[in-house]
Amino acid sequence: MPTRLKPVDVVTIGVGLTGSMAGLELAETGLKVVGLERGGGRDTVPDFQSPAIHDELRFSIRKGMMQDNTKVAVTFRNDSHQTALPIRRWESFLPGQGLGGSFVHWNGQSFRFQVADFIYRTHILERYGKKFLDACGPELTIQDWGVTYDELEAHYDRFDYLCGVSGKAGNIKGQIQPGGNPFEAPRSREYPNPPMKETYFGAIFRKGAESLGYHPYPQPSANLSRPYTNPLGLKLEQCVFCGFCERYACEHYAKASPQTVILPVLLKNPNYELRTNCEVLRINLDSTRKKATGVTYVDAAGQEFEQPADLVLITAFPLNNVRTLLLSGIGEPYDPKTAKGVVGRNYTYQTTGGPTVFMDESINVNPFMSSGAPGTMIDDFGGDNFDHSNLGFIGGQYVGSIMTNGRPIEFHPTPPGTPKWGLEWKRAVAHHYNHTILIQQHGTSTASRLNYLDLDPTYKDAWGQPLLRMTFDFPDNDIRMSQYIADKVVEIGRAMGGKTVVRGGTKRPYTTTVYQSTHNCGGAIMGDDPKTSVVNRYLQCWEVPNVFSLGASAFPQNGTYNYSLTIGATTLWALDAIKTKYLKAPGPLVPA
Amino acid sequence: MICRHLFLAAAAALIPLGLATPAQSQSQAHQVDAKHGAVIAAQGTAAGAPACAQCHAFSGGSDASGAFPRIAGQSAYYLSGQLSDFASGVRESAIMSPVAKALSPDEIADVAAYYAGVKAPFLPLEAAGPALIKQGEGLAKVGDAARKVQSCDNCHGPGGAGEPPVIPYLAGQYAHYIEFTLQMWQKGFRKNSPDAMAVIAKKLDDQEVAAVAAYYQQVHSPLEGTESQGATSPGKD
Repeated sequence: MPTRLKPVDVVTIGVGLTGSMAGLELAETGLKVVGLERGGGRDTVPDFQSPAIHDELRFSIRKGMMQDNTKVAVTFRNDSHQTALPIRRWESFLPGQGLGGSFVHWNGQSFRFQVADFIYRTHILERYGKKFLDACGPELTIQDWGVTYDELEAHYDRFDYLCGVSGKAGNIKGQIQPGGNPFEAPRSREYPNPPMKETYFGAIFRKGAESLGYHPYPQPSANLSRPYTNPLGLKLEQCVFCGFCERYACEHYAKASPQTVILPVLLKNPNYELRTNCEVLRINLDSTRKKATGVTYVDAAGQEFEQPADLVLITAFPLNNVRTLLLSGIGEPYDPKTAKGVVGRNYTYQTTGGPTVFMDESINVNPFMSSGAPGTMIDDFGGDNFDHSNLGFIGGQYVGSIMTNGRPIEFHPTPPGTPKWGLEWKRAVAHHYNHTILIQQHGTSTASRLNYLDLDPTYKDAWGQPLLRMTFDFPDNDIRMSQYIADKVVEIGRAMGGKTVVRGGTKRPYTTTVYQSTHNCGGAIMGDDPKTSVVNRYLQCWEVPNVFSLGASAFPQNGTYNYSLTIGATTLWALDAIKTKYLKAPGPLVPA
Repeated sequence: MICRHLFLAAAAALIPLGLATPAQSQSQAHQVDAKHGAVIAAQGTAAGAPACAQCHAFSGGSDASGAFPRIAGQSAYYLSGQLSDFASGVRESAIMSPVAKALSPDEIADVAAYYAGVKAPFLPLEAAGPALIKQGEGLAKVGDAARKVQSCDNCHGPGGAGEPPVIPYLAGQYAHYIEFTLQMWQKGFRKNSPDAMAVIAKKLDDQEVAAVAAYYQQVHSPLEGTESQGATSPGKD
C-alpha cells in the first residue's frame, strides 16, 4: 500500500518549463504546491560547469540529459498496420529529464506563432475554401485552438521579458519595423534585448536571400545578447558563442532556462516544495471519475506514495502529458478506425530539412563559433505568408542559416559521392569542414486522422505500466509543402555562392533514427468542443475539471515555428485563468 | 570569450572585402616569419619600437616584478590582436601603445608568432596566503552563483590553461598583472572585450581581484615551462 501523504493544494507532474512556471505563479497566491520531477535536481553550479559540460560524447551522442529510456521509452511505428517497437536510442526527438526539463537543453530559438496559426481551420477555409482543404488531403484534421493570438499577446510579451529574448521586432502594433520580420504577428513592444550579433554564415545567407527579394531578419534568441535582469530580479549574462547549446546546459547564465529565469525565486518560496527522482504513475480519480484526488508516485528508493491534492497540473514533456492522461483514464482514448475519442488525437511534429551549401575554400565559416539561435532567417515561406491557391498544399516553413555548432563528432558535411568511411571520407571532411553552410527549412506539421498516440499493447516501463505508442508519418500535404520550398531554398544556396548545393526537404517515411526536432505536439489538444479536444481553451480537462494539461500537447497542430515561446504564452494564459477564475470558483471554466 | 564577439563582428565586417579570416591585418602577401619576430624581440625596429625583450625577456617570461605579463606561448592570434588594439587605442597603455604604434602589421604578425612559439620557465615567486589562494580558486573554478559571476575556467579553460587561439591562458600569469588588467577593465581603460570581461571585472571587489590573481599565479602545469624550444613553426593560428 502506498504511503498517504499530507494533502496539498496543487501538485505538478514534472518540473520543467511549465511546471516551474506553474509553481511560481500558484505558490505566490499562497497555495501549497508540490513539484514532482522524475529526474534529479541540477543547477548551473556545479552541474553545468566547463569543461565537463562540453562533453560531446556524453551529451550529444549518449543523450546525457534526456529521458532515461531504459526505464521509460516510447514505441513507434509509421502506420497502424505495423507493430510498434520501442525507441531504445533517442535520435529524432530528445525529451529532457531532470529539473528544468527540456528547457535546459533547448537552443533558445524564440519565435511566436502567427495570428492565423490559432484560427488555422477558419483561416484556411476563409482564404481557400473547403474544396481546397479536402484536396490537400481528406485525412487532414486541422483545428482552431479556441484561443486567439490577441488573447495571448500579453502572455507572449510577459514570457519574452521573463526570458530576456534578444531580437528585432518586425511588427509593433501593426507598424512594420525595418530590420525585423515583416511577417510576424504584431507585438506590443520591442524585444527586451537587441538581437545577437550576426554570424558570418548568417551574413552570407542574408546577402543571398536579399538578392532574391526575400526579407532576412535576425533569429530571436533566448541566449542573450547582453547582461539582463528579468522582472523577477534574476540576472542573466551574455552569450559567448561557445557552440554547446542544444543538448547542453549553459555554464554562463546566458540561456533562459528554469535554472536562470524562474527556479532561484521559486525554490525560496516556503509554499513550494520540490521533490526530485519521483516518478508519477497516475492521477487518482474519485468514484465519479470526474474529480482528481491527487497522484500516486514512486520515489528513488522505490517507495510508493499517494499525494492528495485539490488541483493536479500535468506539466511533463508533451508525450508524457498524453501518457499520463491515458494511464489515469482521463478522457476517451482516440480510435483511428472510428475517428472517435480525443486523447492521443492530432499528434503532430515538425517538418524539417534544408540544403547543404558547399562554399569555396576561401570562405571560412567557423561554425564552431555559434549559439543555439544564431540564425539569419526569412519568413517569406512561413505558415500562410504566401499564396497557396495554386500549390495544392497548406502550411509552410521558415528558412534560415542556423548553424548551432561545429562540434567534431556531429558536424562533418561531405558532398554527394564521398565514400561513407575511410581515407577519402577523412580527406573530404577536412576539406569541407570549415567551408560548408547548412540552411534549415523548418515548419508546419499538419494534423491527420492517421497519426495518433495510444498505449502500447506489448511493451511496459520499469514500473510495469504500458509505454506510449506513437503512430506517425508525414501526410503527403507536408511532403509537397516541404519539397516546394526546397526548390526555393536551393536558389538561395546558389545566390549565396554555393559551389555545390545539395537539395533538402522532408521525405517519407518519417524515421526516428535521425534528429529532426523535439517539437512533439498534440495528443491532448485544446479546443471549443469536447468531442474534438481534451482540454478547453484554458487547458482544463473537459472530463476532470481539477486537472489541467499544460504545454504543447495542447496544440491542435504545430505551426511553422519552434514552439517553446508558445508553450510559455499558453501556460501563462492558463495560469492566469486558474488564478483569476478557477480559484474563485473551482469547476469547469467553460461549459461543456 | 573575450574576442569571440569581436571575431564575429570583424568577420561580418570583412565580407565585402572577401577576406577569409579576420585576424590577418597584415598585408596579404606577407609570409609570417617568426625568425624575423625573434629579431624584433631582441633588437626592436628601425622605426623606433624598442626590443620586447627589455621587459618581456627573450623567453617571454618577463621578470618577476609582475609589472609585465608573461607572454610566452600565448597564441599568436591573441598577441597580435592585443598589439593591434594597443595601436588603435581600444586598449590603452602608456607603455605599450607607442610600442605597438611603431610596429607595422607585418612586424606585429612576426613578433606575435615568435612569442607564441616559445616556452619560458616559471620563476620562483613569493606565494600569497593560503586563504587568499583558496578564495581565488573558488572564483576561478566555480564563480559565485549568487551574483552570476561565471567561473573564470568556463572560458579560460581548466586551470586557466587558455582556449587558444582566442582566449588567453591565465595559469602562471603574474598576479600583479592579472590584478592590474582587471582594474583596467573596471576603470574602462581596457575596452577590447567590453561586453565580456568588463562586466565580470566590475562585479569583483578588490579582495576578489587579488584572490583570483594570487590563485592563477601559482597554477602551472609541471609539463610546461621547463624548456625553451625557441621559435617553432609560425602560422599555427
